[in-house]
Amino acid sequence: MREYKIVVLGSGGVGKSALTVQFVQCIFVEKYDPTIEDSYRKQVEVDGQQCMLEILDTAGTEQFTAMRDLYMKNGQGFVLVYSITAQSTFNDLQDLREQILRVKDTEDVPMVLVGNKCDLEEERVVGKDLGKSLANQFNCTFMETSAKAKINVNDIFYDLVRQINKKSPEKKQKQKKKSLCTLL
Amino acid sequence: MVTIGRLANIKHILQKELFDLNDERLISVCTVTKTYKKKKACYLCLSTSVHPNSLKTVVFSQVKPTEKDAEYKRKHSFQLDEIKLVDGKDENFETHEFDIQIDKMYKYYAINLHERQNFMGVLYRQINKSVRGEKAVFKNIPIAWLTEKTSPEKSIVKSETEGKVDTEDELDEDDAEDFKALTEKEVNELNKLVNECDFAIKDAELFIEQLGKKLHDLDGANIQSVLASEKQVFSLVEEIEKAVGEVEKFETRLDTYDDILNHVKESMEKVGSKNAMIEIANNNNTKLLNELNGMISQLDLPLSAQQALSDPDLKTASGRQAAINAGKALQQAMNSDIDPALLRLTAVQDQRKRFEKWKLKFSATISRYLNNLFIHLGNDIGEGSTQTQTHDLNLQSHTHVHKELAAYTDLMHWTKSMDRKTYDGLTKVYTSSLSKIYERDIKAFFANALHQIMSRIRASREDLLDTSTSRKVSAVKVTVPYGTLGASRDIWASNVESADREKFDATLEKVLAELEPVALQEQLFCINFFQLDVLSPTGKNTQTTLDPNPEEKLSVSEADPNFSDFLNSSQFPQKKIDRQINEEVRKMMIALFGILEPELINFIQSFEKLDSFYTLYVLVRLTQHVMSAQDTHSFLSMTFASALVHVKRNFDRFMQQQVQSIVECKLPKKSKCGILPYVENFEDFAMTSENIFKKTERRADMDKWYLQIVHKIFEYIAAHSNDHPKTPSQVIKMENYHHMFSLLSQLKVPGLDSAKKDAKARYNDSLKAYVTKYFGRPLEKLNLFFEGVQQKVAQGVKETEISYQMAFSKQELRKVISQYPAKEVKKGLENLFKKVDKHLCEEENLLQVVWRAMQEEFIAQYNYLEERIQKCYAGAMITLEFNINDILNFFSDIAKSH
Repeated sequence: MREYKIVVLGSGGVGKSALTVQFVQCIFVEKYDPTIEDSYRKQVEVDGQQCMLEILDTAGTEQFTAMRDLYMKNGQGFVLVYSITAQSTFNDLQDLREQILRVKDTEDVPMVLVGNKCDLEEERVVGKDLGKSLANQFNCTFMETSAKAKINVNDIFYDLVRQINKKSPEKKQKQKKKSLCTLL
Repeated sequence: MVTIGRLANIKHILQKELFDLNDERLISVCTVTKTYKKKKACYLCLSTSVHPNSLKTVVFSQVKPTEKDAEYKRKHSFQLDEIKLVDGKDENFETHEFDIQIDKMYKYYAINLHERQNFMGVLYRQINKSVRGEKAVFKNIPIAWLTEKTSPEKSIVKSETEGKVDTEDELDEDDAEDFKALTEKEVNELNKLVNECDFAIKDAELFIEQLGKKLHDLDGANIQSVLASEKQVFSLVEEIEKAVGEVEKFETRLDTYDDILNHVKESMEKVGSKNAMIEIANNNNTKLLNELNGMISQLDLPLSAQQALSDPDLKTASGRQAAINAGKALQQAMNSDIDPALLRLTAVQDQRKRFEKWKLKFSATISRYLNNLFIHLGNDIGEGSTQTQTHDLNLQSHTHVHKELAAYTDLMHWTKSMDRKTYDGLTKVYTSSLSKIYERDIKAFFANALHQIMSRIRASREDLLDTSTSRKVSAVKVTVPYGTLGASRDIWASNVESADREKFDATLEKVLAELEPVALQEQLFCINFFQLDVLSPTGKNTQTTLDPNPEEKLSVSEADPNFSDFLNSSQFPQKKIDRQINEEVRKMMIALFGILEPELINFIQSFEKLDSFYTLYVLVRLTQHVMSAQDTHSFLSMTFASALVHVKRNFDRFMQQQVQSIVECKLPKKSKCGILPYVENFEDFAMTSENIFKKTERRADMDKWYLQIVHKIFEYIAAHSNDHPKTPSQVIKMENYHHMFSLLSQLKVPGLDSAKKDAKARYNDSLKAYVTKYFGRPLEKLNLFFEGVQQKVAQGVKETEISYQMAFSKQELRKVISQYPAKEVKKGLENLFKKVDKHLCEEENLLQVVWRAMQEEFIAQYNYLEERIQKCYAGAMITLEFNINDILNFFSDIAKSH
């Protein structure tokens, strides 16, 4: 089974852990506890193929920014999360993306831009069109989600898996099969 | 004479017949025919209204006699201002024709020449008198007629009497309005005149003659007076001519003056423009002077400063001050704001070259001096600190280094803004020499901390090793991950010395607390000394600095894209600038304290190897430091944060090991299974963790793992319960779930509430299952008997008729009942008790509970049978050979006897 290393990034308090836990355990965590680092594993079926997702839920608070380089180096796909109720969280993503591209040294990195907390429509400050245009600029997928209302949560990760598949189709298996055949 | 008479006649007639009707007075009349049409005569009249209320207006009208000559009718009537032109055709008196242009040209032929003259005169006067604005033009008419006041008409009156002339004249001159009514005086005059010529009435002809004569005399006198005035006129003309001559002279003089003035004006203008030019030139000169003065004062460097620059004395405070001042003066001079055009001046260029030389020399001196100083300080302190290794755990701060260097702060700032290369070089030297010190300090510090904790732990362990040999075994096994849930109780309990852990926690806190001020102090010093809080160089020394290739400067800023970004757009938010500054500061701090992070992680790991529970302490302790930090992006915060991530990973790994150890746990090879090791260890584990986490910020992390571990325990209690050779699985489950339940109730972790409920349910289930299986049905045959009864009832046999069935007769029932005498029942129960006692372990002490559950079960069965007997065999007086009280006694007797 192929493994997918997914890293969830974004400013503090945007709901990275809430999204991840909702996806992995189908629970909405109401309480806010700043994450240090949590890693989860979950097996899912995407397009008829079993995948093992290894999701790294990272710290959003500023002290931990030094770790980002490492996360970016190891990750295959990235979820960039902001909260539609806080403009600054949206603004921070530009730097984050630049950092990813710098670390990966390529323009084409599987990535999903996520505007979380879309259930809090009355507190919205970041318009949907703003998110869309940023995604356009990033050349990546965009979705507004709600970990609380379970909107688009699974789609984030499925989309990322598809992006990773598209960017680097699995070759190892074929080679293994071939070698097996020759052995036989 | 006849004509005059006729005219007067006509005038009289017209006045009477026509104008009186309209309250008008006829002033003058002229009998005319239309030119070229010798037709009937008509009359041109000038009349004025005499109505007292109406305005006095003079009207020009043409009156025509009707065919019968008896009446007169006005044909045309015009206001005088309508008349545009009166043309007399010829100045000759004999001319009869004249034209009057009003709305069109009217051409007339005057029958009487006197009438014509008179009419023209009166018309002219009336027009001049009453018309305002454009007046009619009179041409080809003798001027005399128009100026002459006396008309022939009046002369008639004059000729009659000299005395009346005045009044008549006055009257006419004055106004025609009062003409009609003669005043009393006039009447008198007239009477007088008539009286003088009393003959007149009798002889009109004589009267006329006399009047004509008088008129003639008067005419003569008039001409005479006119002729007499000729001389005077001549002299007057002469005077006038003289005056004209004078005026001409005067004019020529004025002309010459004018010429002169013109000339003066011209020259004045020239002078004026010249003056303006001079002023401009003057202004320019002043400006130039100011500019030059400014430039020179800016570029001038005092001699003392020059000396200080070329040979600075950096050792003494006064020398330093002089050097700093000189440096500042040079910087100011080099950064002076001079117009780019002026920079081309050779003098400026030369001065700049000189500046550059001084700068290079000064900067080289500073560089050399500070370089040596840094290295010297680095070596010096290094030696000093190694000697003073105290037992107190503290990290030496290097305030005296900072103090010593603080004197050079200004010089450093100067270097930063003036000579970036030297600045960078000096920064490197500083960090490399200071980092050596810090590396040594930190290493020693951690070693010291490690030593302190280890010595304590070792000491306490050695005590234990001496006293009990069994501990030796466990001490050897320290290499195996220690403190996992799945480990057997012996290993688990070994080495546990909460005092050690607390000591470690305290030491860790001390380590972290010691690091903070030192790092903070160094950071502050660096920011201040290297001016890290200012992004751009303080001076924009592009102006006068001789930059042979300005591209070099560009490349410097390009090298750091963020930096150039910042320079290019000043609208960058403060946040970004702050971040940039923080980045710079952090870079420097990393260079200085590069050793800190690996050392810290190393330190922590060395304890984790010993006892993974230390990880929990570190997690909590470090989180406190990281999350409470105010400067979230400072070097230390981020270093601690990175370490924290490592610790968190270790923590997760440790917890994962716990889960794994449950899976891999082996059952104790005892006759009684009892409480499984992980369930037993969980108590200790949870207590320890709770003690560490209590209400700290990382509770959530621990709770997450609690849930996972508890669920794993539940899962594996069920799985392992089947593996024990002797103890039945129900007992294992019952005992362990019960243990978990009581433990969770004791812990009161809110996140585990549902797990607690789960444990209770599982415990109850397994208790029931155990009772059902092992208590079974001690009155088996009775139970079977009544099962048969129930079958029959189900087939439709009435409960009251059951006793008539062969197999279920009263006899049969009695036979079955007799098989269960009280003694036998008690014996069976005793055996059962022994069996249960063998199954259950002492730790959990569930025997009483189980026994009571069995008693209740037995009573329930008994009650059921009794009820059945009452229903189906009512009145047969059949009962079991023992009652409920007997049962209760059996149970309590058996329980008491053991």
